[in-house]
Amino acid sequence: MAAASRFYDGITAQVHEVGVRATTGELIIFRPADSGIVARWPIDELVVLGDGNHEAAPPVMRRDGEARLVIEDIELRQRLAALVPELAALDHRPAPLVPRLATLGVTLMALVGLFWLTVDYGTEYAAPWLPYSLQAKLGETVFEELVADKDQCHGAQGLEAINRLANELAQAAGYEHEVTVHIVEGGPVNAFTLPGGILVFYSDLIDQAKDRSQVAGVLAHEIGHVVHHHPIKGIARQYGIDLLMKLVSGGYSDLLNTLSSGGNILLALRNGRAFEREADATGVGMLEKLGLRADGIAGFFEQMMEKEPKDAAAAAGIWSSHPPTQERIDATKRPTTGKPAFSDADWKALRDVCK
Amino acid sequence: MSHATTPWGQTAGSAPGGVFVPEPTRPDLTPSRPVYDGTLGELYAIYLRHLVLMIVTLGWSRFWGRTRIRRYVWNHLAILGDRFEYRGRGRELLIGFLFAMVLLAAWAGLMYLAWIYVFHEKPFATFGMFDIFSLSVLLIGFPLAYVGHYAGLRYKLSRTRWRGIRCGMAGSAWRYGVIATFLHFANALTAYLLTPVVSVNLSRPRIANTRLGTLPFAFAGNAGDIYRRYLGYYFLNIVAWIAAAVAVFFTVGGTLESLGVSTDDFLKLFSKPSLRTLLFVVAIAFAAYIVFGLLILPLRCWWQAYLMRYLVTHSRAGNVLFATAISTRQMWGFLVLNYLIVLLTLGIGWPWVMHRTMKLIADQLWVYGAPDGASIAQPPDRGPRYGEGLLDMFDVSGI
Repeated sequence: MAAASRFYDGITAQVHEVGVRATTGELIIFRPADSGIVARWPIDELVVLGDGNHEAAPPVMRRDGEARLVIEDIELRQRLAALVPELAALDHRPAPLVPRLATLGVTLMALVGLFWLTVDYGTEYAAPWLPYSLQAKLGETVFEELVADKDQCHGAQGLEAINRLANELAQAAGYEHEVTVHIVEGGPVNAFTLPGGILVFYSDLIDQAKDRSQVAGVLAHEIGHVVHHHPIKGIARQYGIDLLMKLVSGGYSDLLNTLSSGGNILLALRNGRAFEREADATGVGMLEKLGLRADGIAGFFEQMMEKEPKDAAAAAGIWSSHPPTQERIDATKRPTTGKPAFSDADWKALRDVCK
Repeated sequence: MSHATTPWGQTAGSAPGGVFVPEPTRPDLTPSRPVYDGTLGELYAIYLRHLVLMIVTLGWSRFWGRTRIRRYVWNHLAILGDRFEYRGRGRELLIGFLFAMVLLAAWAGLMYLAWIYVFHEKPFATFGMFDIFSLSVLLIGFPLAYVGHYAGLRYKLSRTRWRGIRCGMAGSAWRYGVIATFLHFANALTAYLLTPVVSVNLSRPRIANTRLGTLPFAFAGNAGDIYRRYLGYYFLNIVAWIAAAVAVFFTVGGTLESLGVSTDDFLKLFSKPSLRTLLFVVAIAFAAYIVFGLLILPLRCWWQAYLMRYLVTHSRAGNVLFATAISTRQMWGFLVLNYLIVLLTLGIGWPWVMHRTMKLIADQLWVYGAPDGASIAQPPDRGPRYGEGLLDMFDVSGI
């Protein structure tokens, strides 16, 4: 790069190799060969464009003008900056690089950690404060999307029975809003919870349950998710970490987003395991509080183990969304005492809910 | 180049019919290369500051961060001893983004009305409201992304100065969007046999509409010139895919045998899916990626290097000619290695990629001659007032 000063008149693309001199009131730009004046810029109209952190040679211009003066000579820039306060930015030298990089790197890592903690633990307290109407709307929308191509079961007595028990359990846990249970025809043998107290049971789970206490146990477990606001916490954490990954990766690469989704899934799975343990404990606690048989959750898991002796969750480890089944059985094992959760008539109605 | 011809292919010294004309002044074709004097450390300092601010502002500082990076990169690149200057502002990018968001919100509103009044809030087949909205955004997003690319290039050029003169871009971004959508659609329908037509016809408006002040760039490329090479690449590519597929088949088969896995075991793995199945599928996918990557990517780089050389050497700005001798290996570094750097560093390697790219440009771009500065005037227009909203919305803006 040439060490001379260059003047561009802003009218054409001609280059003028120039000298520069500062007087008390003017910056004089002249031709070195014959000292002919190229431009005289009043000191109080000088503007330095940019700074030494970004520009290699910050251009100088006259306010509102198009012409540019680029001074490549660092010593000349320093002299002019010392003489003319308006040109002080010309002597802006970046701080030493290594300490600057170290400070920025440490700050970045600290912020990433702080953000992660805020997302991971902050949602624990913040998520329940999300207006219930919003949670319900979100849950309803997701539910409609999920069951768009599936048949729902409409047996009135069966639905009334499971909804009644669900709301009794929720009230026992201090949940203030109404809980709605939907039953979808077919499989898998599963149930899940959506934001806004919406529970979805698959009829295969009811059909394959050995007894009513197992269905009540699964229902109590799902109510555990509801009262702890697990669905909305899960969504908030997933969104938060997704945002963090995007911010840290600069958001420039689609592939990076895919990778960050991988990290995100791991976090969601870890959350999943913690949520499941909490829901198990709360579910059993609620059944006991109402004096109902509380052995259904463990019974349901034992039935799962009988069908699939190899515990997929234990084998998968961190890749699993659920804790190892044996661990869950041990944690929820209860005696076969207590009142039945459903009357004979209700249980029959529930078994026939899809007929 | 022979003594008898000018760089534009006209015979000098005599005119048709034997009438003597004085030999025109031979144009100055002194070669030079751009100079990039940015350092990786400084670029990292700017980028890390950008990331810190991104976290603090939840991403809203990206417009200013992007501007700072451009200021650094532009001003550390010089052609013929004159540095580029970037004078865009973060708030211009923010306004562009907000404008694009308003457009998207209006579109979402329109889709919501369609959901209520056309679909009567009932799913169409298995398509719910979100599906219909996502599909519609995908449909409009495809052409809009091209519009955004062109408009974004116009914005960047309008904020770029060289020798104090603003650059610019003529032409309609919407027209470019329509042409690009049509060409890509037609290319997909013809099994990508139209790729040279697409490449040349989309490069032409981008290059020929570029201006340095009042000096327009020119592009003399023609798809016919590169078809022979493309067809060679096209059929070699097919052969390479077949070879890669065979290699993967035998590699996987050999591995299975050496592991003592019988065909029955192999079939059982898929008839009763388990975690092992998942791991197996991931391993196969990875092996396939490596084999395909080794066979297919060098071929692709070979074609891309050729295309780049062709596009550059067929562009000029007035009497200034351009050339590059970028090789397949260098294109590999640009396309593949850069990609891997960003990927494996989770994005932290991005400044390194930018630095490598600028060094590659400085090393591989040759400029023949110098423009006649006196004949290039400052353009009267200042370009768009804001920019890159569409690019930002579709997450393809980059730097």
